[in-house]
Amino acid sequence: MNLKSVIESLLFAWGEPLNINEMSRILNSKTHEITKIIDEMINEYHIDKNRGLIIKRFGNSYQLITKKENFEYIQNLLQTTVNKSLSTAAMETLSIIAYKQPVTKVEIELIRGVKCSQVIKGLLDKNLIKEVGRLDKPGRPTIYATTDDFLKHFGLKSIEELPALKVEFEGDKEAT
Amino acid sequence: MDYSVNLNMFQGPFDLLFHLIEKKEIDLYDIPISEITEQYLIFLDQMRQFNMNITSEFILMASTLIEIKSKMLLPQKEKNEDPRLELVNKLLEYKIFKEVTEKLKEYESESSYYFSKPKEEMAISSDVKIEQLSLNEINIYELYNIYISLIKNQNLKIEHESNFKIYRENYSVKDCIEELTNIIKKNGRVSLFNTFKNKGIITREYVITSFLAVLELSNKQGIKVYQNDTYSDILLIAT
Repeated sequence: MNLKSVIESLLFAWGEPLNINEMSRILNSKTHEITKIIDEMINEYHIDKNRGLIIKRFGNSYQLITKKENFEYIQNLLQTTVNKSLSTAAMETLSIIAYKQPVTKVEIELIRGVKCSQVIKGLLDKNLIKEVGRLDKPGRPTIYATTDDFLKHFGLKSIEELPALKVEFEGDKEAT
Repeated sequence: MDYSVNLNMFQGPFDLLFHLIEKKEIDLYDIPISEITEQYLIFLDQMRQFNMNITSEFILMASTLIEIKSKMLLPQKEKNEDPRLELVNKLLEYKIFKEVTEKLKEYESESSYYFSKPKEEMAISSDVKIEQLSLNEINIYELYNIYISLIKNQNLKIEHESNFKIYRENYSVKDCIEELTNIIKKNGRVSLFNTFKNKGIITREYVITSFLAVLELSNKQGIKVYQNDTYSDILLIAT
């Protein structure tokens, strides 16, 4: 079996970001082997000027996507500009969750100085954040973290790729 | 609609304060509190004149500012904390995220140049396997297509009502559920195609009603909904 060929087919058939564990289950190989092969593929696709697709990593998943330079042609084909951009309120909330996760609603509201219930609900609906349990405190507040879809939305390989925060004062050591 | 997005352009009181501070080019570590408080209150007043909705958060900030201002007027005991400190720290923290939000917006627009395909339903048809129609896997268009093809395949005529009237339903979902469950009780299963066949001429109302009945039944204990593949007959089977 030609692993590269199979992986390409899998990625195409699946469409959405495909988890590495799922691939290793199907291909009956170890995840690190698959990762190595996919990394090679990522390189090959990227270099090959005759290809219109690249493979991109989001968290532990990989996805086939079109090359950026072909954007306008695809746009002409689709005849629509899909506006996926989030509101400022959603963005602020999301960035707080991204850097401070796992985090409670109250913590977010303290930083933003406004109520965030609606925004959080919207982000949950868009699957950009998820509930990851409850805090062992009075009221057992829900704690939130970002999802792989969040990484995808911003084109990040992993959470470590987030831009560094400009910390100007003593206090928050969590900021990385 | 997010109600915290008010005063039209500000995310909240911190955002508004920032705007005032930046406009005046004020050093964050040495805020002229009385000036800023005044500016802030003027701004709220203007908003009020525009009949804009001012949420409690903005009022709270106003009172916090006034409190700090009054503390500043009192003679400072030595080694006492600057009354502005807490507010400044909060502002600084907010500022960090406000800035990174701008960064993320760039990331967002950058990633919008890449297209990817959503996951599609890939029905692999087989004559042998009965695949269970699960409601969270089937989407509204597929259901619609199934119904349309069903009506076409069976040569059923849907009577078109020319005038649009609202009238009391003469065939309720409840009736239909009853009808279907009775057949299931008797035969252990029911084919939706056959029930349509038996009716001969059916109205749009009847189609919709039986459709809703199937959805209703699919949630019931002891009844499973089966379909061999897309566009084929829908079977309800007692388990």
